Amino acid sequence: MEKRPEVSVIVPVYQVESYLERAVESLLAQTLEELEIILVDDGSTDQSPQICDEYARRFPEKVRVLHQENQGLGLARNAGLDLARGEYVAFVDSDDTVEPDMYRAMAEKARAGDYDMVFCDVRILYVDEGRESISQTYPEESIDLGDYLVRGNNITYSVNKLYRRSLWEGLRYEKMLFEDIALIPALVTRTARVGYVREPFYNYYRRSGTLSTSQVGAMGDVVTAFRLFLTRCGERYREEAVYCAAKQLCWNMTQSRTVFLPDFIGLLRDFRKDFALNPYLAKDPQAGKILDYLDRPVIPRRLVCAHCGRPLPEEWQQAVERDFPQGEVVELTEANLPEDLPPAVARAIKVGRWDFVEEYLALGEVYEKGGIALAPECRTQLGLNRLRLGQVFFGFEDGEALTAGCFGAVAGHYVLEALLDTYREENLYNAALLPLKERLRDFLLLRMGLQANGKKQLLRGEVQVYPPDVLAFDMRNGENCCKYQPCPAPEGFEVVRASLLERWSKERMENWNLYKRERDRKGGGAPPAAAPAEAVTRGQLEEELRRLAETYESSTSWKVTRPLRAVAKLWKR
Amino acid sequence: MAHNALFLVNSVYQLLTAVHLKRTLLRDREADLLLTDVTPALPRLRGRLEETGLFARVILAKGAELQGRCHLNRPAELDACFQNQEALLRGALSGELGEYGEIYFANFDVLARLLACRYDHLPCRFYWYEDGFSSYVIDYLRPDRAAANRHPLAGKIAHKVEAALLYQPQLALRGDGIPNLALPKLPRGDGALLEVLDFLFDYRPLRDPADVLFLEQSFRAENIPGNDLELMERCRAAVGPGRFLVKPHPRNPQNIALERGLSRPWHGDAPWELYLLHGDLEGKTVVTVCSNGALAGRLALAPPSGERVVLLYRLFTGKVLWKENDVLRRYLDRFCREQEGGGVFAPGTVYQLEHLLRYLGGGYGEKT
Repeated sequence: MEKRPEVSVIVPVYQVESYLERAVESLLAQTLEELEIILVDDGSTDQSPQICDEYARRFPEKVRVLHQENQGLGLARNAGLDLARGEYVAFVDSDDTVEPDMYRAMAEKARAGDYDMVFCDVRILYVDEGRESISQTYPEESIDLGDYLVRGNNITYSVNKLYRRSLWEGLRYEKMLFEDIALIPALVTRTARVGYVREPFYNYYRRSGTLSTSQVGAMGDVVTAFRLFLTRCGERYREEAVYCAAKQLCWNMTQSRTVFLPDFIGLLRDFRKDFALNPYLAKDPQAGKILDYLDRPVIPRRLVCAHCGRPLPEEWQQAVERDFPQGEVVELTEANLPEDLPPAVARAIKVGRWDFVEEYLALGEVYEKGGIALAPECRTQLGLNRLRLGQVFFGFEDGEALTAGCFGAVAGHYVLEALLDTYREENLYNAALLPLKERLRDFLLLRMGLQANGKKQLLRGEVQVYPPDVLAFDMRNGENCCKYQPCPAPEGFEVVRASLLERWSKERMENWNLYKRERDRKGGGAPPAAAPAEAVTRGQLEEELRRLAETYESSTSWKVTRPLRAVAKLWKR
Repeated sequence: MAHNALFLVNSVYQLLTAVHLKRTLLRDREADLLLTDVTPALPRLRGRLEETGLFARVILAKGAELQGRCHLNRPAELDACFQNQEALLRGALSGELGEYGEIYFANFDVLARLLACRYDHLPCRFYWYEDGFSSYVIDYLRPDRAAANRHPLAGKIAHKVEAALLYQPQLALRGDGIPNLALPKLPRGDGALLEVLDFLFDYRPLRDPADVLFLEQSFRAENIPGNDLELMERCRAAVGPGRFLVKPHPRNPQNIALERGLSRPWHGDAPWELYLLHGDLEGKTVVTVCSNGALAGRLALAPPSGERVVLLYRLFTGKVLWKENDVLRRYLDRFCREQEGGGVFAPGTVYQLEHLLRYLGGGYGEKT
């Protein structure tokens, strides 16, 4: 280890005991001799740390290990960068592999062209589907950076690149998901000399259930990452970089991460000038679609919870932290009541009807600044974020009742204003201190044409009303965005209102009966079971038995012996 | 011009108004009463009416038979009847008509139209007196409303009508050009009036009136489909058993609320307004689609009676009036606006209705 390595390969390691050996072995098999492997164990709790140590023990001249508390992929790479000694650095994810010639070929390219960065192609292996494809980084032999940003691939990947280590001076990954997007493209736009080896050296194993294929609230970082991308990219290639970002945004917004669409729209608006005036985008109808989103209304990412005389439940906070890690949480309590309260609200306070007060406060706050009202009994799901796309939304609690536990609106929406006005009128809702859901339902019925049928409706083209499984109860059909949980349910159980369950079951039965009717109408019946080779079908078997019985009944011996059998029967009795 | 007056009466409500008119506007004048059998029980009151001495003569009329023979929308029947008007009248009445300076009627029916022909050339003024909300909203004389209005004889009444007498003339929305005059309100606490009416209608205080009374209307008798029974059921469910009672409409062929177990039997034959005059409904809640009886406590009585009124016309799916339904809605909306804060409620949704009834019944704690 005295000699300075040419390439330092940094491998962040976290909970990958199944794949780690394969990754390290592929690095040990590199044909480049002057290579160091830096394994950064990011606080794994499986056998990964021991595997790392074993490699360090066996290959002390090649493998170095760093153990640290879990800090995430980006910071683990940073820790590796701090340790790296090579002229060049590279990154490998611990569940991927690389081809033996990768770093030799890329280092040679870098040296020959005095390049600061060298790219290669990526082989994507779809593990579940058992197929693979090559993601070609660029269609030409040598890279024209401006054109690469417009036409190239694998731009945001950290792993298909070799970097001159000096590039990283003063530069590190952020503590976030999608740290690649936040850093690498900007780095590319700021690099004068880029080389390319047109070989699929890097094997990227794509599996379901991994970070790149699942959806969790923290993945909202993708928006921040693109924001950093656009903020950091160099001016020289800005138009190309914006277009490059636009193409990826389009994919994320419409295909892969639609749940964050409202956040992406916020990003587009923040860079409206760049996107709206981009010449590449103007010529690309596909990516240009994102411009249509610029003026779509979006409800702010504010979660408003009024809890008077009671603490905010821990489960509420946990759910919000999980699904809206970047959301603004607004708590309204009895300590910060507004001065000019309607008489009904003041009376509710006097008689201790804090539920009435809470609903009024939440309604008022959402009206003033926009956001999503979320009662203390409600638990978010990530899908709730998607509902922010629009002006105002409400949900049914069952076939007829609406829920006031979760609703959202843009700031100053007239429906909420009208509802707030009713708190200052002389009416039944105030006289009887009826819950918000009652005045809400009646308002929507009378003024917006709501049908009290528990079905999804768009009223006047802007007021979205969702069925009960979306905003009230989780029917485990993938539709739920927020659920009402008045009491804790044991693991594996859901709290569901009886009237909804009844309706749900009825609908399922109706669907089943409809299916059966259709099947019968088409003369179907259950599809015949395929007969195994050289076997008979059940129908054929029954037909044969019937034929046999008929033969036997008609046989002379059977007829002749009938009196005898009758006597025997009597005898038995 | 003759000084006498004649009242034409088809229902107990009209009779009550006729008695009141006789005792107020016509207290110094002699008047005859023409009592029809359009309400079958009405002729039975003749004896008591005569005993009161309010009217000089009480003449019975076969109003139902006349209506059966002469449909107002059948020109041939109109021709046949009005060509023989005198014979028809003689056959229908139990006594001779006199000479009258004024005739008071409530419906533009065949009998009223025959009388208009009879007194066409005589100096006799016709006054149309209120018969519920229809008198406020229906233009009965519009030519396209009925063939009778275009008939040369049956339509004469249009030129004879001097004015409409209404308890609340400012609410009239008919647009027929007939002047609206104010009827004196039925005075609550007028012992003498109550004495006459109590005797006439054999009044007995309402036995065990429930907290919430539903006034049924004659939708079934008039073949008007709607959801009034469903509304009744919702009311009963919201109010709870034992506190809900349905007053059946006399013209409906069966007491369907009773048959469906929605209500106990109704015991009360007196006109609804008489119960109101006595204050029998004080503190109760009267629910109806739009029965005039529910409005009467505020339209016709002075001071208004103290029952709360819940009008369900906004929730009713049928058309109460085929042609003037929209006008009726405007009339009821106007009535509700004028009565705002005065114990009249018109829920816009069935949920409002349920909450309202629970609230009025004290189901949400102390009322404010």
